[in-house]
Amino acid sequence: MSENAAKTEKKKEAGMAQMVITLGAICAVCALLLGLVNKVTEPVIAENEMKKKMVAMQEVLAADDYAPATYAGDDATILNVYEAVGKGHVVEVNCAAGSFSGTLSIMVGVNSDGTVSGVSIVTTAETSGLGSKASDPAFKDQYVGKGGTLAVDKDGGEIVAISGATITSRAVTAGVNSALAAVGQLG
Amino acid sequence: MNVKQQLKEGLLTQNPVTVQLLGMCSTMAITTSLFNGIGMGLSVLVILTLANIFISVLRNVIPNKIRIACFIVVIATFVTMVDLFLKAYLEDLSASLGVFIPLIVVNCIILGRAESFAYKNGVAASALDGIFQGLGYTWVLVVMCVIREFLGAGKFGGGLLGEGGKGIVIFPEEFGIAGLSRPVGGFLVLACVIAAVQYFLNKPKKAEKKEEVAQ
Repeated sequence: MSENAAKTEKKKEAGMAQMVITLGAICAVCALLLGLVNKVTEPVIAENEMKKKMVAMQEVLAADDYAPATYAGDDATILNVYEAVGKGHVVEVNCAAGSFSGTLSIMVGVNSDGTVSGVSIVTTAETSGLGSKASDPAFKDQYVGKGGTLAVDKDGGEIVAISGATITSRAVTAGVNSALAAVGQLG
Repeated sequence: MNVKQQLKEGLLTQNPVTVQLLGMCSTMAITTSLFNGIGMGLSVLVILTLANIFISVLRNVIPNKIRIACFIVVIATFVTMVDLFLKAYLEDLSASLGVFIPLIVVNCIILGRAESFAYKNGVAASALDGIFQGLGYTWVLVVMCVIREFLGAGKFGGGLLGEGGKGIVIFPEEFGIAGLSRPVGGFLVLACVIAAVQYFLNKPKKAEKKEEVAQ
């Protein structure tokens, strides 16, 4: 047994070249495997994400067709703008900057007359039970039909903030304002 | 190779969470619903088993000095593969586990088993070790999920059972101890589970000692 152990010990005492070659070979095999898996899963993942977006868009502003629109303004929080054909626009806004936990993006539907048709939370990491309530209809339906510049009740506006989650409420409101402004710029 | 011994070690006497105290971060973070617990447990089981097999196959080729680097490359590969597959075919699970799947790369259980078991043992034994240690991790997660879900939100089987996968409501959420669903609850429940397991593991030893004294 000890002889055997000594043998393996000797085997594992490798020179520089062998180390480089071994690690390089392992990396190459791993990269190849990952490439293959990525090739298989990439289209499926892209499809899933598109589906998720479509569901969110239907929720905020139902339309038969959506076409990507180009946004030329300099508001960096605007992620994507889509034209809901014949109905208005759907804007995806990143509200992370004002959020409580650093991950928050919303989808805002804007009617052709410049009022909000619906708000949907796309990704969120807000505190469960507090900020997560932004996804409740009781909160997000407050935006429906409103336009101009909105603010939460604490700041003198008409949006009733979620109790215990004023920061999240403000972040969502700011996102809706950016969306309205972006659509206003599109004309 | 002793299958029974390995099974017992993985589930109880060398349980990765309650005895080796490895991988605590993910244990506390994701045990908020049964779906998360089972999903995370099985993901770790698969990655651990594959990484163990791969490292065991290469154990005579990998030079001692660069073994950690090799382990990390192998582990990262399998984690990324599982992450991609989850994103493509189990989107719900991927969304609720979020960053904790990529973080399995630095989960000490997997690196720990590679270093202490797979690098020194045969392929079959290493594969079994991966499965048993994975099961040991999974059962602790499931127990924690059940406790935190029940006491924190009054539910059972969130994400899996009940209407629309919302879990079976046992009592209204308002009466739950909301803290247990939050991170602080993870610490409390994990501590209690570890204490309970340690108590039962040490009990027979104490009984033996008493016998010795009596003799």
